[in-house]
Amino acid sequence: MSGKDKVKVGEKMLSVRISRFNPADQSAPKIKEYSVKVHEGARVLDVLKAVRDTLDPTLLFRHCCGAGQCGSCALKVNGEPRLACMTEAADGMLLEPLDLPVIRDLVTDIGKYLKEMPYLVPACEECAGSDGSDASSSGSCSCACSCSFAMPSKEETAEMKPLRDCIECLCCVSVCPAVKVTDFAGPTYMRQEMRLALDPRDCDKDRIIGITEKGLFNCTTCQACVLACPKSIKIPGKAIEKLRILANREGLTLPRHKEVAGLVKTTGRSVQPLPDRKGLIESIDEVLEPYGDVKGEVGFFTGCLYDLRMQSTALDAIEVLRRNGIRIITPKEQVCCGSPLIRTGQTAIVPELMKKNIDCFVKHGIKTVMTVCAGCGSTLKNDYDTPFEVKDINEILTAIDIEKPEKIGLKIAYHDPCHLLRGQGIREQPRRLLRLITDDFVEMPSECCGSGGGVKSGNPAEAEAIGKLRGEEIKESGCDIVATSCPFCEIHVGSVTDKPVRNINTLLVEGYRKKDAKNAENASVKNAPQEQ
Amino acid sequence: MLADNVTDCHVLVVGSGGAGCRAAVEAAKYGDVILLSRSVTGKGGCTTMAEGGYNAVLNPKDSCSSHFEDTIRGGAYLNDRELVKILVEEAPERFADLMNWGAVFDLSCDCDGFEGTHPAQRHFGGQKFNRTCYSGDRTGHEIMATLMEKVRGGDIRIIQEVTVIDLLTETLSGGEVRVCGAVGLDRDGNMIVLRCDAVVLATGGTGQIYDVCTNCATGNGQGYAMAYRAGAELIDMEMVQFHPTGAVYPYDARGRLITEAVRGEGGYLKNSRGERFMAKYDPERMELSTRDVVARSIATEIAEGRGTDKGGVYLDVTHLGAAVIEERLPMMLAQLLNFGVDIRKEPMEVAPTAHHMMGGLRITPECRTTIKGLFACGEVTGGIHGANRLGGNSLADTQVFGKRAGEFAGKSVMHRALMNSPAIVGQLAAEELRFNRFLNGSDSIAEIKERLRKTMWENVGIFRTAEELETALAEIEELSEMTPKADSPAVLAECCVLEDMLTVAALVVRGALLREESRGAHVRKDIVQDWTPETSPYGHTYQSIYREGIEKAGAEDISAEGAGKGGNVQ
Repeated sequence: MSGKDKVKVGEKMLSVRISRFNPADQSAPKIKEYSVKVHEGARVLDVLKAVRDTLDPTLLFRHCCGAGQCGSCALKVNGEPRLACMTEAADGMLLEPLDLPVIRDLVTDIGKYLKEMPYLVPACEECAGSDGSDASSSGSCSCACSCSFAMPSKEETAEMKPLRDCIECLCCVSVCPAVKVTDFAGPTYMRQEMRLALDPRDCDKDRIIGITEKGLFNCTTCQACVLACPKSIKIPGKAIEKLRILANREGLTLPRHKEVAGLVKTTGRSVQPLPDRKGLIESIDEVLEPYGDVKGEVGFFTGCLYDLRMQSTALDAIEVLRRNGIRIITPKEQVCCGSPLIRTGQTAIVPELMKKNIDCFVKHGIKTVMTVCAGCGSTLKNDYDTPFEVKDINEILTAIDIEKPEKIGLKIAYHDPCHLLRGQGIREQPRRLLRLITDDFVEMPSECCGSGGGVKSGNPAEAEAIGKLRGEEIKESGCDIVATSCPFCEIHVGSVTDKPVRNINTLLVEGYRKKDAKNAENASVKNAPQEQ
Repeated sequence: MLADNVTDCHVLVVGSGGAGCRAAVEAAKYGDVILLSRSVTGKGGCTTMAEGGYNAVLNPKDSCSSHFEDTIRGGAYLNDRELVKILVEEAPERFADLMNWGAVFDLSCDCDGFEGTHPAQRHFGGQKFNRTCYSGDRTGHEIMATLMEKVRGGDIRIIQEVTVIDLLTETLSGGEVRVCGAVGLDRDGNMIVLRCDAVVLATGGTGQIYDVCTNCATGNGQGYAMAYRAGAELIDMEMVQFHPTGAVYPYDARGRLITEAVRGEGGYLKNSRGERFMAKYDPERMELSTRDVVARSIATEIAEGRGTDKGGVYLDVTHLGAAVIEERLPMMLAQLLNFGVDIRKEPMEVAPTAHHMMGGLRITPECRTTIKGLFACGEVTGGIHGANRLGGNSLADTQVFGKRAGEFAGKSVMHRALMNSPAIVGQLAAEELRFNRFLNGSDSIAEIKERLRKTMWENVGIFRTAEELETALAEIEELSEMTPKADSPAVLAECCVLEDMLTVAALVVRGALLREESRGAHVRKDIVQDWTPETSPYGHTYQSIYREGIEKAGAEDISAEGAGKGGNVQ
């Protein structure tokens, strides 16, 4: 406590908890609480300086430019990776090091990682010429080496610039689930590889092969890195998926991914139908009317898994919608959204799929297309340019006042599907629905299950390793049951925990059935005396 | 604590900003190089924060003699002409290096004078031609990213998060002193000794001796202090550039740089009455006058009561429209939004802030300092920018002189110092004594630093008088008598840095007392002079442990032909 000076105008006292750790004489970090005087508008960095200058000179933290440009001062503020110099300090905040090897207190070992960052292999001096000032100059080599040399065009420059914003703070690496448990070089490493792959000045001919050996196919495209990035660089979309396209051109696509692409090409679906079961679309009417008054209408984009594998979950969703006044139109011509191809770099037939899908909903005059699969939803929203609105079922159901189900007396944890939470920004709606179902809702950290980005199909062992972490978090939550809102997560999370994993709509239907049964019982109790 | 951590190399480069990295890349062509920095490599220094641009004559309609004249005129005729000539002539070549190594600069296809696609160039203050190349408003970051790729791809040994605290010297048979290495402290306070054939100092500037500055946390001026102790001569240490536009609030963000590109793109400076006051001070160049003029104009407006409530003036870009602001000034927009100001809709508030050191180590065109074995490049050197630096010239400076320092240090003769030489043993023993003094010290580092920064800001700012300078000097002397306390060995480096800051501050004040005239960034309100910078009877101020004074020199022909004749390099 620095009580010796009075708090003046423009100053304030602030309490802060800081993780202190010295591996030399401590086995684990300890959280210490400080109360310190700072100026109004102080950033987290100013608080750290105040603690060091007035309370404990041994507090170790890294900082340099103070302007969000050097990337030295990244740490966790209340669990979220942030730059200390750019984040406004809040009373009671918790400051911890990034989830990287800790050297002392808030300082992590980032040097080791940065040393391995890929770099441009320039043309030999003869090829490059001496006058790079003329950016349009280009030429191929006249000397004995094999490099070619050209200055980037305006277009290439425009593509490279967003990837160049990186300040190498390693926030992305610290949150990446694939980095934690698989041989994945990490988000910013891949960002740098893509920046180099885009650059005509780079003369590393084997770059793409090298990247596939660095775990290119281990990224689940969970987008945790995008959220963590102080510069909001969209690494999965702008780097990982683009690199996978380049890998595809060099014949480096994984065998399982090729099979999926072959299947989509021949059948329009990314999975094979089960021999003993009819597809959902085949077995339902194209137009399904609600049970009561029509309150709304949606076009149902089922996606491959709900059509061919998980029909019962899809039927639960349909049941919930019909019960709440939504007319459902399910065009028969719809095909795979293309996500399994976009995520794995096999984009050749994607435009064709997009056209088919857009046309069939347009033909029905549909204004709102609803997705129940988080992956399809994210793809339709982010990769498509649709003439209609796309909404996830959680958005549809929370926009209307749905009928309350009977509560089920279970402790429910919710697994955020990456493509719903980070891909579509949908966080509150599923929670609101779950609170209708249970009074005992528990939060878990929003981590990837390991299934996305083609990892489960292409690299099952990596998917399992990431899933195992998720399994442990589920166990820690102490829940009876895990709810989710994505077919891929439902299957994969189900394989890493012994708790039942259910779609939110399945739970809603369960609540409605319980309610109906109770009503029927009440009715029978009421009716009973009359009959006697 | 005996140094058991001894490393040898041919060239030791201290500092991993733009100049240091460029020097290391060049020196590696001649022998093994260590690139050592206080920060994580590439994250230290001010290069990465430089926003606006890199001046280079690229357009066929532009000319080196025009760039030369702009630089000399902007520098109030105090520049070393030979160094300026090198700067303007080699800036395009070094820009080409960056482009060959992968730098991503903004391109354009529609500038008069060029054919086809070419690097885009913007207008910066004090220049007659649009010659400032840029990458949005994160040009320095782009240069650092490029250099770090080159460093990682090259054969360069990296030592990071080690604070160099002194240069090691040996006395040659003829009595001449030669720098033969450096001694540093690691994160835990362990001593590290580096022996080499040549040291390149690329430690940057010293904005941190001022209460309000744009510099990064490592801008403490250690290089000036270490070189001074080793016997090197410094020139024009009084020449501190105050950037006209630093942030005014919140308190802890005071001084943070608002790039000149904001004015370059057409921003207006207005006082609290809404007047574009630059019309009074420089009607011709208005907001794009040189930095010294704009900084003084803003300071005058504020001092005469036409400032804002928060103590600044307005810098307004709202008339440019949201689209232009978003494309050309994205980082500025994001940074100010972070502080609750949307520059698309409202003006910023700005005031001058300590920014760049024009003075520094006296160097030859080969970047040799006045002591053998010691080379220097970048902000730690003096003479290139004279009494006022043009925006966009320092990034060029880092590359031009970084390359030269690396090259000539690399060409140094190999003759390794002996670890057990009595001179080195003696120096290490002296360091031990210094450490013991700090470990037994009693004064707070933070308090000494705060008092220093306050007195420098109040007494050695934009407007100066002998009386205020003496006040500052007395305060610095008092602070130097104190003994900063190291609570643990890990804090020893901070104590050393603080002593270096005090040394540099004294050099700045003494330089300011030596220069009894107003010139460029240095304004003595207590002196009446009947000469202009062009006709000034004075040349450089100089200070070393051996001598101090001011050179008597007339201004010379500023044409490019005159270059090389009037240099004051010894």
